[in-house]
Amino acid sequence: MNALTDLTLAPPIGERVIHGLLFGTFTLHLLFVLMMLGTAILGMWFFLHAWWGRRLGELRFDKQVLRMFLVTKSLAVVLGVGPLLLIQVGFTVPFFTAVTFFAPLWMLIIALLIASFLSFDSLAHRVETHPYVHLAVGTFALGTLLIVPGFFVAVLVTAENSDKWLDMLHLGFNFDWRLSVHWLLRYLHVLGAAVVFGAAFHYFFIADARDRKSSLMKWILGGLLFQVLVGFALYFSLLIPMTLTIYLYLIAGVALALAAIVWVAVRLRSAAMSFYGVLPLGVALLTAMLLTRQALQDRAFYSLRARTQPNTDRYRAELAGYRGDSLRRYERHTAITYDNGPTIYRYSCSFCHGADGKGDGPDAAQLHVPPERVSAVRTTPAYLRHILMNGVDGSAMPRFGYYDPAQRERIAAYLDDRWSVLASPGGPPVILPESAVRQAETIWGGTCAQCHGADGRGGPAASRLMPPPPDLTRYSLTPDRTLEVVTHGYPATAMPAFGSFSLAVRWGLVQVVLGKRIPAGK
Amino acid sequence: MHFPYFQFPWLGDPLIIAIDAVLHVYISHGVAIGVLSLIVLAEWLGTRGGGEHWERLARSAIKPAVIVITGVGAVTGVGIWFITSALVPVGIGSMLRVFFWPWFIEWVVFFAEVAVILIYYFTWDSWTGAAKKWHVRLGVLYIFLAFASAFLITGILGFMLTSDGWPRDRGFWGAFFNPTFLPQLFWRLAIGLVMGCLFLMAYVLFARWPAPDFRRRATRLLGKALALPLIAMPVFGLWWIEMVPMGFRTHARPALLIWTFSYSTPWFYIVHALCGLLVLAVLVAAVRGSIVGSRIVVVPAILMVLFFVAEYERVREFIRGPYLMPGYMYANTLLLAEHDLYSRQGLAARSWWYARQAAQPTEEQEGQFLFAANCGTCHTIGGKNDIRDRLRGRTERGVYVLIGRTEQMIPWMPPFTGSERERASLARFIHRLTADRYRLSGEYRYPASGKEGVP
Repeated sequence: MNALTDLTLAPPIGERVIHGLLFGTFTLHLLFVLMMLGTAILGMWFFLHAWWGRRLGELRFDKQVLRMFLVTKSLAVVLGVGPLLLIQVGFTVPFFTAVTFFAPLWMLIIALLIASFLSFDSLAHRVETHPYVHLAVGTFALGTLLIVPGFFVAVLVTAENSDKWLDMLHLGFNFDWRLSVHWLLRYLHVLGAAVVFGAAFHYFFIADARDRKSSLMKWILGGLLFQVLVGFALYFSLLIPMTLTIYLYLIAGVALALAAIVWVAVRLRSAAMSFYGVLPLGVALLTAMLLTRQALQDRAFYSLRARTQPNTDRYRAELAGYRGDSLRRYERHTAITYDNGPTIYRYSCSFCHGADGKGDGPDAAQLHVPPERVSAVRTTPAYLRHILMNGVDGSAMPRFGYYDPAQRERIAAYLDDRWSVLASPGGPPVILPESAVRQAETIWGGTCAQCHGADGRGGPAASRLMPPPPDLTRYSLTPDRTLEVVTHGYPATAMPAFGSFSLAVRWGLVQVVLGKRIPAGK
Repeated sequence: MHFPYFQFPWLGDPLIIAIDAVLHVYISHGVAIGVLSLIVLAEWLGTRGGGEHWERLARSAIKPAVIVITGVGAVTGVGIWFITSALVPVGIGSMLRVFFWPWFIEWVVFFAEVAVILIYYFTWDSWTGAAKKWHVRLGVLYIFLAFASAFLITGILGFMLTSDGWPRDRGFWGAFFNPTFLPQLFWRLAIGLVMGCLFLMAYVLFARWPAPDFRRRATRLLGKALALPLIAMPVFGLWWIEMVPMGFRTHARPALLIWTFSYSTPWFYIVHALCGLLVLAVLVAAVRGSIVGSRIVVVPAILMVLFFVAEYERVREFIRGPYLMPGYMYANTLLLAEHDLYSRQGLAARSWWYARQAAQPTEEQEGQFLFAANCGTCHTIGGKNDIRDRLRGRTERGVYVLIGRTEQMIPWMPPFTGSERERASLARFIHRLTADRYRLSGEYRYPASGKEGVP
């Protein structure tokens, strides 16, 4: 996939259905998002207003406003899941790319929302809080909440500008100045719309006193004027080329916004607007603006789709050739049950130690430090447990602590059943002349003890060695294997070869080494 | 591969998903299903001449319940989408393509659920008298919707472990109504009711308003209500275990024991026995009407049950082992077929994003990329499940050999995906990491914030 590709599983529904559902669900979601943000902003404003006017003791309008936060935020969150599912399944490449660009901030949204929601809901549902507490909690709640649309806008701006992805990548997943300006204007445009729709919502459903209604109308009017100004700048910051259809949507939206400004301005003196008069205007305005947004987004997404689709098809065809093999591997793997010694040895040990424990598994040749011939190991249960748990530093032997204690016991039992690894090592199978044993003891004391220690537990140099010498009081090899190690040394470790000594002396060394073992029960 | 990688620092990807998801389970099961069922029951008792205390209990518990359900429960539920889309986009994106309709229908149910609970909450004081009956019915409708939500999600969760015939036939119905579907659904209901009884009992025991007589009556009722799901839990739990193939069941203990408990099996038994005993102690104390006794044990019992629920979710997620989508995708979101393809062709050479993030990659950048693609979904560098702890002290050749054998050596690990040269490169990178003084120049994303290595 040396090109951008989509996921290879086919989308479950047709493009037109996704597209239609996405527009519908996103419109609903955004409507409640705007009302939630508006509720939060107005709730804080009316609190400050009441505090400033020393009217905190009265029936608090800001509390009435904030009570609606529970409703608007719940529906905003819930309704957001629909468009989230649809954009993931319909426009996978731009959406996920943008999300991974802003991954830390995207995940932070969850924490911000929880913090803000709990703060606002606690303010709304407590009868009395000290104004300073209210101010602190409210500022925190509003601050955390207002960050969130900034992140969402950043993800959408990224998703829609795929030809800027490499520039962003080189800026450390960041916008250049043009995208930054576009992002900022778009974010402000969301906040402006939030004020308009939030104020309209509270005008019709919450406010009853005339001064409240008139105050909310001023917010609507101010918001609309703000939207026109910001929208004008936003138009010039667009990087996606316009088409005739997009112009038609946009002009309709602007005309409706101007009509709304005139309408509200005319009605401001009487502070009376009819709900059924405003409703169609509001719906038409929101729809026209969201159609503009959707059409711009479609242009960006579909041109990216046209570029990635052939890559995806090619990649899917390429992978199809491997499906049969991979399924067979899956079935083989899931048929293995790692609950018994032979199975665990076969899959977890034998690739190094060999099927017959001769240290000649298929991977053994890859290792500088050869895997031990487990069939020759003669050790104690505790030491074997220790090796399974901790592996052997300075070699490939891993820590098998990922198996549970019962499984590790089963490996140990299997090794003992098959190769008697927990048996006593015995002694050399030859009768040695006294002189050879004496010479071996001298060699041990002068040379071997440096690393192995006089008693076999490890000498002064042991702690610097990788792998460290084993504890010979608890770990030995069969006499034959010990002789082999004495004669040839242990490759890639500090253990040298003593092949220059006579066979009798070497057998003497074997006897000395095995003599360090503390017999079982002592 | 399809998207730039991001690995969650220190905590690691799985833990951050788990924190959000387990918090969601506590609320969606314990509060939305458990506490709400009991609130509706209390409201109904209030209408049956059981006294205004029941009504007051329901009325006073609904407010925090609604705030928590809508403010934390819903947001953490959405949070699972957010976190997975940022950390494992290929995984969640592919899952969504298989299970689009259950998830879409679940969304509609979720919307209805929230709408109904808001109406239920806001009409409490206005639907009185003759309308009260309808208010209770609205509560019942909410419980039904919460159950429907659990029904839809459980099918998808069960698929990830027991996919039935899906890997071969890609059939939707078998994948959804998979072998662990029913036991898991009932298990979740039972654990939800257990949590709900304990949560509400704690409220009854510690709230200031209930009169001593009512507190005793309510505690006894909740104790009795606790008995049924408590008996059901082990039944459904064992049924669930029975339905999990043996090949996965063998990693259940390692899932629990790794790594801390692994050294001390007794602690494992002590903690679980304590969990069971505490919940039984609550049951006995509450049914006997002992307020002091119940007060002493209820909070520790809640903590133990929360621990137990988190542990169940961990085991369930862990034992599905190397696969995210059985027979199709490994846990690191590489496809099984991709493993075969890239073993021949190399992973880095064919990754569009990596090629653009590091045009002339340094050894370290290549190592970080291979780590992110192969290991980063589960392992961190320097945080939880630290790769350095797993391989410290091994030789470079040793690391190389072990990387090539992960799938067969460790039952729940995916295989390494990439060419032979890349396997050696990853081994060199990890081996270098295990040297204590080694510091990475760029973290999480391979070129330090994209500033290095890009011309």
